[in-house]
Amino acid sequence: MEEKPKLTCSRCGVELEMHKAFFSYLEHSFSTEVLRCPVCGQVFIPESLARGKMAQVEVSIEDK
Amino acid sequence: MEKVIRKTRSICPRCGRTVDASVVVRGGATYLDKSCPEHGPFSAIIWRNKKSIFDWYGDVEPLDAAAAPNCPSECRENGLCAAHKNATCCIVLEVTGRCNLRCRYCFAAPDGARDRPAEEIIKEIAGFTAPGKTLVQLSGGEPTLRDDLPEITAAAKKLGCKYVQLNSNGIRLAEDEAYVKELADAGLSFVFMQFDGTDDAIYEKLRGAPLFAVKEKAVENCAKYNVGVTLVPTIVRGVNDGAIGEILRWAVSKSPKVRGVHFQPAAYLGRIPNIPADGARFTLDELICAIEEQSGGLVESGSLQPSRCDHPLCGFHGDFVVLEDGGLYALTKKRDDAPCCCCGAENPADKNREFVGRRWQRPREGGADSCRSSSKDIEDMDYFLSRVATHGFTVTSMAFQDAGNVDLERLRMCSLHAAKNGRLVPFCVNYMTLW
Repeated sequence: MEEKPKLTCSRCGVELEMHKAFFSYLEHSFSTEVLRCPVCGQVFIPESLARGKMAQVEVSIEDK
Repeated sequence: MEKVIRKTRSICPRCGRTVDASVVVRGGATYLDKSCPEHGPFSAIIWRNKKSIFDWYGDVEPLDAAAAPNCPSECRENGLCAAHKNATCCIVLEVTGRCNLRCRYCFAAPDGARDRPAEEIIKEIAGFTAPGKTLVQLSGGEPTLRDDLPEITAAAKKLGCKYVQLNSNGIRLAEDEAYVKELADAGLSFVFMQFDGTDDAIYEKLRGAPLFAVKEKAVENCAKYNVGVTLVPTIVRGVNDGAIGEILRWAVSKSPKVRGVHFQPAAYLGRIPNIPADGARFTLDELICAIEEQSGGLVESGSLQPSRCDHPLCGFHGDFVVLEDGGLYALTKKRDDAPCCCCGAENPADKNREFVGRRWQRPREGGADSCRSSSKDIEDMDYFLSRVATHGFTVTSMAFQDAGNVDLERLRMCSLHAAKNGRLVPFCVNYMTLW
């Protein structure tokens, strides 16, 4: 199995680690695992997450 | 002491002519007052002031009577006029005038006439279908009395109707499982099923027969073929206005087979037992409060928001997810930062159609059911997305208007349209009966 390239924080130069992050939208909060810098806390949100699950959640909780 | 809070127009319930009307607050309630030069004054209660009617109206503009001087007679004759404010969300199509019940209240008051040929109905569907978009509700009479309903359903899907909904009392769905399978195979999207309570005494009074076991069986048969069922209670004061909480609890307990409850306070259209006194009317604000009080906290009134697809006084919607413990997680809330309906690019009718389609149609087997998350926490994104698809649940209502309480401000925002001789007519205009 091909291993995904490891990502490093551009600011701290350390490797990102998977971490649970919380997202708030319209008074609801949802969590999912994302890559995060263990030093500065900056998270990496891939386009697939933003356009995928996060967009689906937004549609689900937006008032009709 | 009374105060006029809105000027509008209505019709005389006797002769049907258009008359000026006022929305008036007096004695702790709100009324629609009007006067016909020939038949005198009329008044109907429209709100019992259990919630603020001003808040509920929101930013909806009062009627501009000059913009459509021939409303509603013009749309009755010629279909929706250019001044009609909302697009079509759902098209109600009568496929039969026959019925196997004789209900005390029935907006359609079917005449028992011989059915039109299926080809004629399919041609009518072709005339109004916007491919990939249309939601058509096959109604009656009782549509399942037609053996060729699966054929009509399949034709509607083939013509491009995105959703085909069946409006049914559930009797044949309970008694004829093979017929349910045929409808499912034909592409039926979901069922709107008459459901007035869990007590046979209610059905005896409203429908003339004990039907609760029939309703249970119909839900089970639809579930076998993955067809979602939304329960539709007609709420009549003194008959089932005390059963609202029980209806909700039963419906939630049947999730995901049951997709929601759509309450319809009795309106005096079609076949009615009598002309209503104000005391008999069950207003929308009363319904909202009854839902909160009787459901024992299952549904809070703040989760029920005014209709955006129609006039706010025509209904409400609440969107939920049924949790593993049988509780409801509310998705709709009153928000100060909520986007208003006028600034979005999407029109409210399209948005509402997709909303009900998402919730009332069950996901395909093995689709959203296969959750990637082992979590049962509704705040876990994977679990939430899976659960909302399989166990989404709506609490909605539509308050139909009759000759006594019809308000042209509301009528002009109607998005529920009946197909009539090749034209689309606002539902309440189509079924309006003079007293």
